[in-house]
Amino acid sequence: MGRAIVVTSGKGGVGKTTVSANLGTALAQLGHSVVLIDADIGLRNLDVVMGLENRIVFHVVDAIRGKCAVQKALIKDRRMENLWLLPASQTDDKDAVTPEEMRSLVNELKQMHDFVIIDCPAGIEMGFKNAIAGADEAIVVATPEVSSIRDADRVVGLLAAADVPARLIVNRINAALVKKGDMLSQADVIEILALELLGAVPMDDQIVATTNKGVPAVLEVTTKSLAAKELQRIAKKLAGHEVEAPATSIGFFTRIGRALGLAASPA
Amino acid sequence: MWSNIKNMFTAKSSASAAKGRLHLVLAHDRSGLEGGRLQAMREEIAAVIAKYVAIDAEAVEIQIETRSRAAQLTLSTPIQPRNA
Repeated sequence: MGRAIVVTSGKGGVGKTTVSANLGTALAQLGHSVVLIDADIGLRNLDVVMGLENRIVFHVVDAIRGKCAVQKALIKDRRMENLWLLPASQTDDKDAVTPEEMRSLVNELKQMHDFVIIDCPAGIEMGFKNAIAGADEAIVVATPEVSSIRDADRVVGLLAAADVPARLIVNRINAALVKKGDMLSQADVIEILALELLGAVPMDDQIVATTNKGVPAVLEVTTKSLAAKELQRIAKKLAGHEVEAPATSIGFFTRIGRALGLAASPA
Repeated sequence: MWSNIKNMFTAKSSASAAKGRLHLVLAHDRSGLEGGRLQAMREEIAAVIAKYVAIDAEAVEIQIETRSRAAQLTLSTPIQPRNA
């Protein structure tokens, strides 16, 4: 029996989809069988972030309505041995499915896969309720900004009320800004939200480039992406491997190197 | 560079301002008490206290704080000295 993990945040644009895509891919790299579900019905994006947008035939609403077998709606990622995407429908509304239907869909997928990663839509309405319905645990993604943290706090309260244990990923940390005192540190965010930290992902331009190409950053083998490295570390931690402490900031020499154009910069 | 140096000498960083504001706003969000209702509660409690001791109802302060995820309501008021 697999584990269903919902990736949520309250606020939009904080990196839920990127985190979902990379964690799912990294878990598959570790040898686990993974299904990614795009629960953002009407505004699907996990397909383009994964680079699988041209292969969609059926989607999550089709699977739930019995228009096709669940297995048939899954898109196999050809780059990986054991990674699948269940895309969202682009033409339905959030209320096209019910929490009960989502729960039974997720339970069915858990029978055959180690991890079911659910990419939750922004907001705390129907789409959120559907996305968390089948989840055993949650990852709350927050950027170190007041609006993101405030919304994350609402979500943490709603998850607690729904008995879904949550852990935190602080995304897009800019170490230089933190040092200057112009950005909340991961420690600040943990203290404010009172959540266990799963990982702290640095701001990384290379994520933009890999997303442009439809390749999860963790798949770029030659990558120097610090964000990708941290996401791989988080995947290991999720899967129960022993991991080192979060890589929090870019090293002094790396920074100097980058400033001088010595270190590899994003292509 | 100059702003860095200036920051070193000014009392508060923007991060600590963010932290302080978040602690306050989350305390209210978590309690579900909007500003207006909180003030109404303050006035009612002040009236009750005034039945027992002499206070200045305007000086009564009410505050919600968060520690970890628990919210705490604090009410404080100076008590006026007895004249007799």
